[in-house]
Amino acid sequence: MSEGIIHRGFTQVGGFTFNAETLTMTWLAMAIVILIGFLATRNLKLVPSGWQNVVEMIVTWLHGQIDAMMGKRGRMLAPLIVTLFMFLLVSNLLGLIPTLASPTNDLNTTLGLALMIVVMVHVLGLYFKGGHYIAHFFQPFAPFVIINAIEEIAKPITLAFRLFGNILAGEILIIVLLKLMPVWMPIPSVVWLMFSIFISCVHAVIFTMLSMAYLANALKEEEE
Amino acid sequence: MIELNATFFAQILNFLILVAILRAVAYKPVVRMLKEREDKIAESIQKADADAAAAEATLNEYKNQLKDAHAKAQEIVDKAEKRAREEHEASIQATKQEIEQMRKAAQEEIQRDRERAVEQLKDEFGALAMAAAGKIIAKNMDAKENEAIIGEFIDQLDSKKIGDLSC
Repeated sequence: MSEGIIHRGFTQVGGFTFNAETLTMTWLAMAIVILIGFLATRNLKLVPSGWQNVVEMIVTWLHGQIDAMMGKRGRMLAPLIVTLFMFLLVSNLLGLIPTLASPTNDLNTTLGLALMIVVMVHVLGLYFKGGHYIAHFFQPFAPFVIINAIEEIAKPITLAFRLFGNILAGEILIIVLLKLMPVWMPIPSVVWLMFSIFISCVHAVIFTMLSMAYLANALKEEEE
Repeated sequence: MIELNATFFAQILNFLILVAILRAVAYKPVVRMLKEREDKIAESIQKADADAAAAEATLNEYKNQLKDAHAKAQEIVDKAEKRAREEHEASIQATKQEIEQMRKAAQEEIQRDRERAVEQLKDEFGALAMAAAGKIIAKNMDAKENEAIIGEFIDQLDSKKIGDLSC
């Protein structure tokens, strides 16, 4: 089921298959994110004004969250988290513009990001805690390793499918509503569009917060 | 639709590139700026504290100087008052002395006048008595004898009558 309502346009490069639309939209989203980041921080002054206040507020708030959740080690992940949030927000909203699509309506994107986060969690956990990190999967006693393994596998899958499903459903319904409703009846489309904007923001936040929570597990100093 | 292919890896790579770019372009400058401001604020607070301490010290110094000046001024005023009082006393004393002197001089003069008047009166009285006696007796009497009698008479008179006269 590769060609339905959503057309992706497959491209073959050196024996690998790429989704051309997803990649194009990802680059567009990246460009927008970089542009926003550049414009917001282009003219930084010691006495802040205008946009600089907003940017500073976001960074300060994020640092506060990271310090509370992960401790001081988390600071090095701050750029990753802020990028994740901005990229997801822009990506999600991109699909609501006619003729454009969200990079996040492709499972390749969401699962890629989710797996990257989970791999990062385990790598950082092993790096900072060593054997202690492995041991905590066997607590409170050895058979729990099965439940813990299921949980660890479920993390990236739920993370990826939650975002993918919500965004794809939103886009499909926009297209379907436009096709179902006559031209003189735009209200359902508008209402759904508003709801989709809300959903886009909410899911960018959820994905980011859950990533932070998972990363916090690996980074937080043990209270001993 | 649910189909994984090489896009999966491309997306991870894309995202990591985005993280690197955004970190360099946006995150680092903001953090650097925040740090700079933090440093500047800390420095300003420190400087303000130092300034306040310096101002306090200066104020204390001025207060002490003012106190000294007050004390000195009071001293000067006291001295001047004392001197004025002394001068006043001295001048009163001098005036009193002068008055006393004047009084003494006046008394002496009065005494002198009185004595002179008594003397004059004595002489006149003598001449008068002599004339009276000459007229009454109308005789040739020895002038020297007469004078002796009159002198005696006057001396008696002097102590009994004229001497008690208050002139």
